[in-house]
Amino acid sequence: MTHMMRRRGRALAGLAIGTAAMVALAGCTTSTPETGESGDTEGTTGGTISVAQTNAATALNSSTPDTNLNTNGMVDYLMGMGTGPGSFFYVDPEFNVVPDETNGTVELVSEDPLVVTYTLDPEAVWSDGTPMTTNDLLLSWAIQSGYYDDATFDEATGEVTEGNVYFQLAGSTSGLDTTEFPEIDAEAGTLTLTYGEPFVDWNLVNLITKPAHVFAEHAGFGSAEELATFLEETPAGDPAAPAEPNEQLTALAELWNTGYNITAMPEDEGLLVSAGMWVPKDFQADDGGFISFEPNPEWRGEMQPSFDELIIRFIGDPNAQITALQNGEVHVIEPQPSADTVSAIEAFGGTLIQGAQLSYDHLDLTMNSEVFSDPAVREAFLLTIPRQQILESIVTPVDPEAEVLNSQQFVANQPQYEDAVAANGYSDFAEPDIERATELLAGATPTVSILYNTANPNRVDAFQLIQASAAEAGFNVEDAGSPDWSSLLGSGGYDASIFGWISPGVGYASLPQIWQTGGGGNYNGYSNPEVDALADESQVTIGDEERITEIMIEIDRLSREDFYGLPLFQTPGLVATNGAVDGVVYNGGQTGAIWNTWEWTLAG
Amino acid sequence: MLSFIVRRILASILTLVVASFIMYVLTAYSGNPLQDLQASNAPNAQQLIGQRIERLSLDVPPPLRWFGWAAGAAGCIVPFATCDLGTDLNYTAVTALLPNAAASTVRLVSASTILAIIFGVITGIVSALRQYSAFDLGMTFVSFFLYSLPSFLAAVLLKEFVAIDFNNWLSSGDSEIGFVATAVIALVIAVIMQALVAGSTRNRVIAFAISAAATFGMLYYLDAVDWFQRPGLGAIGLALLIAGIVAGVTAVVSGFGNRRALIGAGVAGVLAYVSYFVLQGLFAVSTIWTIGILGLATLAACFVIGWLIGGPDRGQVIRVTMLVGFLSSLLVIADRFLQAWPAYLASPRINNRPIATVGEQTVGLTGDMWLMGLDTFTHFLLPTISLTLISFAGYTRYARAGLLEVMNQDYIRTARAKGLSERVVVTRHAFRNMLIPITTIVAADIGVLLGGALITERVFAISGMGALFNASLGRVDVNPIMGYFLVIAITAILFNFLADLSYALLDPRVRVK
Amino acid sequence: MTNSTTESAKTTGEGAVGESQSSLILKRFVRNKTSMVSLVLLIAIFAFSISAIGLGPIPGWWPLDYRNPLPLVDSGRPTLSVIPEWLGGAGITLGEHPFGQTRIGIDYFAATMRGVQNSFVVIVLLAGVATVLGTVVGAIAGYYRGWVDAILMRITDVFIVIPTIVVGAVVGRMTGGLGVQFLAICLGLVAWMGIARLVRAEFLSLREREFVEAARVAGASDARIIFKHILPNAMGVVIVAASLIAAAAILLETALSYLGYGIRAPESSLGLLVSDNQSAFATRPWLFWFPAFFIVTPALLINFIGDGLRDAFDPRQKRFSVRRTKELPENVEQRA
Repeated sequence: MTHMMRRRGRALAGLAIGTAAMVALAGCTTSTPETGESGDTEGTTGGTISVAQTNAATALNSSTPDTNLNTNGMVDYLMGMGTGPGSFFYVDPEFNVVPDETNGTVELVSEDPLVVTYTLDPEAVWSDGTPMTTNDLLLSWAIQSGYYDDATFDEATGEVTEGNVYFQLAGSTSGLDTTEFPEIDAEAGTLTLTYGEPFVDWNLVNLITKPAHVFAEHAGFGSAEELATFLEETPAGDPAAPAEPNEQLTALAELWNTGYNITAMPEDEGLLVSAGMWVPKDFQADDGGFISFEPNPEWRGEMQPSFDELIIRFIGDPNAQITALQNGEVHVIEPQPSADTVSAIEAFGGTLIQGAQLSYDHLDLTMNSEVFSDPAVREAFLLTIPRQQILESIVTPVDPEAEVLNSQQFVANQPQYEDAVAANGYSDFAEPDIERATELLAGATPTVSILYNTANPNRVDAFQLIQASAAEAGFNVEDAGSPDWSSLLGSGGYDASIFGWISPGVGYASLPQIWQTGGGGNYNGYSNPEVDALADESQVTIGDEERITEIMIEIDRLSREDFYGLPLFQTPGLVATNGAVDGVVYNGGQTGAIWNTWEWTLAG
Repeated sequence: MLSFIVRRILASILTLVVASFIMYVLTAYSGNPLQDLQASNAPNAQQLIGQRIERLSLDVPPPLRWFGWAAGAAGCIVPFATCDLGTDLNYTAVTALLPNAAASTVRLVSASTILAIIFGVITGIVSALRQYSAFDLGMTFVSFFLYSLPSFLAAVLLKEFVAIDFNNWLSSGDSEIGFVATAVIALVIAVIMQALVAGSTRNRVIAFAISAAATFGMLYYLDAVDWFQRPGLGAIGLALLIAGIVAGVTAVVSGFGNRRALIGAGVAGVLAYVSYFVLQGLFAVSTIWTIGILGLATLAACFVIGWLIGGPDRGQVIRVTMLVGFLSSLLVIADRFLQAWPAYLASPRINNRPIATVGEQTVGLTGDMWLMGLDTFTHFLLPTISLTLISFAGYTRYARAGLLEVMNQDYIRTARAKGLSERVVVTRHAFRNMLIPITTIVAADIGVLLGGALITERVFAISGMGALFNASLGRVDVNPIMGYFLVIAITAILFNFLADLSYALLDPRVRVK
Repeated sequence: MTNSTTESAKTTGEGAVGESQSSLILKRFVRNKTSMVSLVLLIAIFAFSISAIGLGPIPGWWPLDYRNPLPLVDSGRPTLSVIPEWLGGAGITLGEHPFGQTRIGIDYFAATMRGVQNSFVVIVLLAGVATVLGTVVGAIAGYYRGWVDAILMRITDVFIVIPTIVVGAVVGRMTGGLGVQFLAICLGLVAWMGIARLVRAEFLSLREREFVEAARVAGASDARIIFKHILPNAMGVVIVAASLIAAAAILLETALSYLGYGIRAPESSLGLLVSDNQSAFATRPWLFWFPAFFIVTPALLINFIGDGLRDAFDPRQKRFSVRRTKELPENVEQRA
């Protein structure tokens, strides 16, 4: 009996396990049987274009100091956030500020006092279908102007000693900080800014950045209108009388400062709201990851993309980019160019689109160092710099058309460059003149130490060429290179330095930084009262491009006369496609190749 | 035993604390975290520098700053405390950066380790059993060569010659191996096979002829059916392969002398073969969990078969049936993956170029588990191979040396003297003891592989922890580096612990105190 | 049948045949053709690199410096030719720049030779420091066991949990600019853990053997037992591990340079040359393959030498052959 029962018990147990397994099995299948055949569930046939970038995107907002990276900037551009189609303007490869009137227009009302009016198109709309209102413009102004900040900074260290900074900005608030609370006409959709002082870069102030309704929701406001009312009612910050941190401002700032940082595709759809023609679709962080975009369903602009998915893949290794291009995994790449990169792409039949980047390498002499306080020694040293040879070693293999850069103010793709070169006289130093240099030295053999970045092959090569050439005239060039060069800038422990500046392309706010006595980027102790005065003037010249150009050319000429140093070459740039995409145009600016995605088409 | 484990855990925590301190201080002193800002000509650079110093307490000397970090990190272990690993220079929490990166790396490293152990140990054993044969010398050379190859060099070569060339060949439309290539491959394989067989000249010639003919015939067949465009094992191929597994497993594990084992293996093989026809419908709607359950069910069924048929040597028969069942089901699964291949190739995002050189997935590709599985496979294939190559050499050398060492021990001679067959001597007596030194290597090797992943991940653009470490060290971004360190350190400690444990289990002479 | 006699000699007469054993080892090593050829080749490569560009202040027979940019000849192609004129080649000649030039015209032969020299510095210093340190730590830990072992192994664990390349990257970043020697020694200080663990495991098992007991009974000091009795028996493990480390040293330096944390320009190293020129792989392959050759070859040779040494130290492995054991019964049967 017991035997039988045990057997039956076993059978039952077996049955139970079997049933449980079947149930589990059924539960673990996909609900809708997919035939293996239709792998790709793609609706339309517009296709996909994949672009490789060296740096990974880290945020859907590139305007905070923590997120001010080029790939984040591209994301902003594609979404029309503060730049790009969908916002008020974008910048083309010739560094013209091109207005985009899809969502609104900007108008200079008066030069003195400086008054600017922003007008929204009545049909302007965010990608989630919410209409754009003056509330959005007001929020953008509140963020960028630092109107509510009441902080005092320590001059030396830059640390906040007292008060609050709400919205963290990669750029500065200078310019907008002089504006009063804007005049708003919600009916007409206009917002008018009145500046307290003239501001040279007024046309680069873009007031379409982030949607107010999303900020309102995050910071606990009932609606965007309530948010606008709150902004109106909150008094301006006063550094002289710092207040307790304002809770609601802090909540708003939190979204701006860190809320848009992403490490995975955000679940909060509000973060994805876009003003431009693209909306983020998927994201994976870090080198090897990607961010993909789909067209904005609400986009009404004239410029329309002809394909329906844009992918930016993050590939840090330049050689991996080339192989991926060759293998068809990406269609467009922007690698750091070298002779080998160029020929490797040519070798498999890729299409090269060459240009020049906005950055340029330059040699600066420390004006107040012992050896270079004598202008004759400065001239002699500059006369030994083999600029043509450096160019031919580093740039020519990439871009055979490239020429030595002859201006400290403009790069060759800017229209003002030709005039500057004609006036400034940097072309005198085209080829080294050892004889004249030896003459100037009159038998002296000064020792010159040069600071450069040992981790950058271009700088190392330039240093070696300069060292060899200067030795011929009697200079004893010492290697003061370091991978930690940047912290040594301005320390005075060297006589000359080789490094690069990135020309802003548009805007003039950084001019005094480098050229004025004691400027933040003036690392070589340059001081010339004439230049100081010109730099001051440049900042208050409104709407007069010609005068600004004149000022810059004049600074260029004066720096040449003072034997400030020499511009060496403009960094070559490169975009390559594997032939699958047409319409790619080189852009040396911050946006890179993706600046004209609406002109891209899939070939064949 | 319990006190051993407890003491090891305490010691491990102490190890971790000390190592993290060293790592933290080293990293912090390795460079200047303000470099990017100091070189910037932004108007508010000074203010940004101040901000960063304040947020990351850069004004506190690193040895003291470590305490702050450690306090936050301790929160990750203590229940109900918040886990705070600090933030990177861009003010993103490290705890948000780590999980995805760790998943990629662990996937890559574990696959490589398993492959390296399997292939390394097998090659090592064969090398040792055929000491000083052409095969042994050849493998010695190959493994040393692979070991001497810088990993990024291997990666570049793999991309150039495996990915690009294979894809070109596949997408050229005329993907035929061709007569010449077929003949060459057949000859090469035949040469290897005859070296493997060794023995008398007659044996070698026979081995050479058979393997050359078989390879040639197979490749010719693959060409004829356009296999690389529409691969699959097919009912006949599967039957042959399963039969091979049944024979092979039985021969190695129990020998054909054990009739019960052979019968059990046969039943298990037939079961797997039948399931191939029965399960196709279920496969079409499968998820990874379905396959997992099916796998468990198969193993359970095989266990029962072995148990029923087992007779006096039940344990061995069960081993045979389960192994046969496992390997045969793998074939069935593999066949299903191959069936998805044409659809995968045809996808516009693949465009007939399946082997990827960057990333972990085809962005935007959607499909069933078979298609996505293939996608993962094509992306991880090359990085896994290149990482495997690093440790493959080590395993072959140590396995070879270990087996040679063991084969000279007295007890092996005793076993032989008893008249045991060579198979029994090797599989029963030598193999287990040979594994003792290997366990030590595995533990040390994990660290090497995690380090090797640094380069592999960069070359193949995989967003793992190596990429995180690289980017962070370049900017002297201490907190993400410490996050990376924590993950690999814990992995390494865990594996060391397991090694010590298995060491004690395998070698009773080593007392666990 | 010789098996049993040598085996017993080994276990019983361990201390007594000390010297003759080392000469035995040497003899066995010299008889191993592969490793002898490897050793000769390795020395030849080293000697060649020294004679070519000199050592320190002593100039070599090659006139060019690895730091001096010169005008490009034939756009930097290598002038080395090994095809004689009568075969239609340019004759067997080195030419002006046998390995070609970099883009700024630095002679690549001089740079590569300098890299080879630095490689050897790295091999010797790194592997030397790591092996000595690892052996001593492992030996002491394995011999004394108990709390000494516990402490030493915890210290080893501290270092082992950080992969060498990770510490290497950090150390390299800190010291890469201070010269090759410094970098190599620093890396050696963090690469000894593998050897320590292997030696310890070996010691743990060897110290239980009879000959150790015998030595102890005979009144030998601990140091004597460790270094005279046990260590020679563990030498096989040490040698194999040391050879693997020596080969790994080259690769570690290469990997660090690839990641940008190793030796820095204008100093030259093979890793630096290869990683700087990896994009030249398809277009100016010589910039890639010449240094790559000098990375892979010495690493390969060292492995073969290590293999030979192991066989010499541990002849037990030599005598086992399945083939023989298999064929023997067959022969017997045939005879019968």
